[in-house]
Amino acid sequence: MVKLTIPATELVRPGHAACPGCGPALAMRLLLKGLGPRTVLSMPACCWTVIATPYPTTALGVALLDNPIESTGASISGIRAAVDALAIPDVTVVGFAGDGGTADIGLQALSGMLERRTNAIYVMYDNEAYMNTGIQRSGATPEGAWTTTTPVGGAGRGKPERKKDIMGIVLAHRPVYAATLNPSFPEDFVRKAAKAREIAGPRFLHVFAPCPPGWRYSSEETIEIGRLATDTGVFPLYEVADGHLRLTRRLSSLKPIGEYLGRQGRYAHLTPEERARLQAEVRSGWERILREDASGSPGGPFSSRSSHAATKGDTVEAA
Amino acid sequence: MLEIRFHGRGGQGAVVASELLAQAAFLDGKRPQSFPFFGVERRGAPVTAYCRIDDREVRLRTSITRPDIVVVLEPGLLRAGSAMEGLKPDGILLVNSREEPAALPAPAGVRRASVDATTIALTHGLGTPMMPIVNTAILGALAAASGAVSLGALEQAIDRFVPAHPAENRAAARDGAAAVRVAPPLTAGHSRGASSAVARAPPLELPDAPMAVASSATIATAAWRTLRPEIDQRRCTRCNFCWKFCPDVAIELNAEGFPVVHLEHCKGCGICAAECPPGAIAMVAEG
Repeated sequence: MVKLTIPATELVRPGHAACPGCGPALAMRLLLKGLGPRTVLSMPACCWTVIATPYPTTALGVALLDNPIESTGASISGIRAAVDALAIPDVTVVGFAGDGGTADIGLQALSGMLERRTNAIYVMYDNEAYMNTGIQRSGATPEGAWTTTTPVGGAGRGKPERKKDIMGIVLAHRPVYAATLNPSFPEDFVRKAAKAREIAGPRFLHVFAPCPPGWRYSSEETIEIGRLATDTGVFPLYEVADGHLRLTRRLSSLKPIGEYLGRQGRYAHLTPEERARLQAEVRSGWERILREDASGSPGGPFSSRSSHAATKGDTVEAA
Repeated sequence: MLEIRFHGRGGQGAVVASELLAQAAFLDGKRPQSFPFFGVERRGAPVTAYCRIDDREVRLRTSITRPDIVVVLEPGLLRAGSAMEGLKPDGILLVNSREEPAALPAPAGVRRASVDATTIALTHGLGTPMMPIVNTAILGALAAASGAVSLGALEQAIDRFVPAHPAENRAAARDGAAAVRVAPPLTAGHSRGASSAVARAPPLELPDAPMAVASSATIATAAWRTLRPEIDQRRCTRCNFCWKFCPDVAIELNAEGFPVVHLEHCKGCGICAAECPPGAIAMVAEG
């Protein structure tokens, strides 16, 4: 048997109802490889509720509760309280919601859950718009991106506003662990999910989730687009534990943002000037993260063993 | 009253085809009605849409279970077996296919028609090879083969209601009308069912409580696919990238570490082929 770099056990079943090439489908598959079978998921209306349960079937090998769209944070606080009251051992409580259900509609419940220090993991899978209802812009839609509610044509140039900084919002609540994950880097993805499981307290995972129909690209490009998102600095991979930020994919230089934007129809209308503005924005975000990156400092919160594992995984992917 | 049922895939334009047909019928002075089956709409997933055409207002609001005409936008959907369900014995089956209509499976009495709408659509730059938008080409064929609407009204409807490439779509409709072929009905004893290729899954027992208990693995998603991965095992290095990146859990590693594709669940996204370092996976067209 060939050596595997991520666990073999599958907790997502085939036959689910995701589009071909779905980033969120792959993200869930990797997430559950990291979290394991003793996971209870709570999910609001989002692509994944439709993907998971063509009634009366389920594509998940773990327990799933459907909750109203604004209440994922409250719902996992409740599940945690119930699990603790019943003294059920070794249960990982996880909220799994889209960017609209998190950064827009579910924001107050997320804030409440973090502030109450609920012992649970909140996962936001970010396909950067309300995809399940037909590509309407959300607070997490990036500036300049076409959606059906931020059209291109006439005065329309895609979304005029900037993407909401959900990691900034979450970090202001001082969670015990927060990280960015990208399914194009499976070893790093699974390692962060498994690490989050081992820590008690409020945890948050921001998951990059490319969407072929919504971002207007061909289904086989999902992994490459994810890779480009990280290597252009659009979606840097890092983790924050006890207030210390550590990059988990270091880059000697950023690829030009055009390599990422040019692969997607939702950015096809951008002028060189508009691209340059987005490039400047990405660069300043990247520089801010570099400044905060504390991994070089001695006595940091991470053992050399875990950083070695991350480097090894990244090398496999970069090959 | 004429009842027409469309079978397509999410992204091919079956719902728009049904709406355009209704608009064309209205321009012909009829009282039409059109609506899609309300279900999960996913790119590539089977989609059904309904159109009724009558001289009087249609008060019926139900889905069409006994269609006069069945229009199939992609021949792979015939394999799934349900496309022809309830088609009237003297009805019409119109399929987007390169094949001669005489080769189409159908019950006795049904008039079979075929048109290569994919080639027509791609000739006019409508859609991509993986997902050609064939609706206007097949509507032209429908107008010519059935007389359900006039070609003139169809072109007018396209002009008014198709936002992108109206000229190309009108040309595709005209080409579809010119290219459609019709075969005489089969006589009893020579009829061929459509469901022989794929056995229908037994209906699932619904549980008493509103809880999902069965595994989604009982659902085959093979019909979503237009391309199929083929692995050249001689070039495979067993790196397992294809397994690692499959969103549909359709690739398994065998005891030797070689990938095996479960075609009943593969949706043909092409990620495995795109990510394969030695290029050992090719995406080939289905049947």
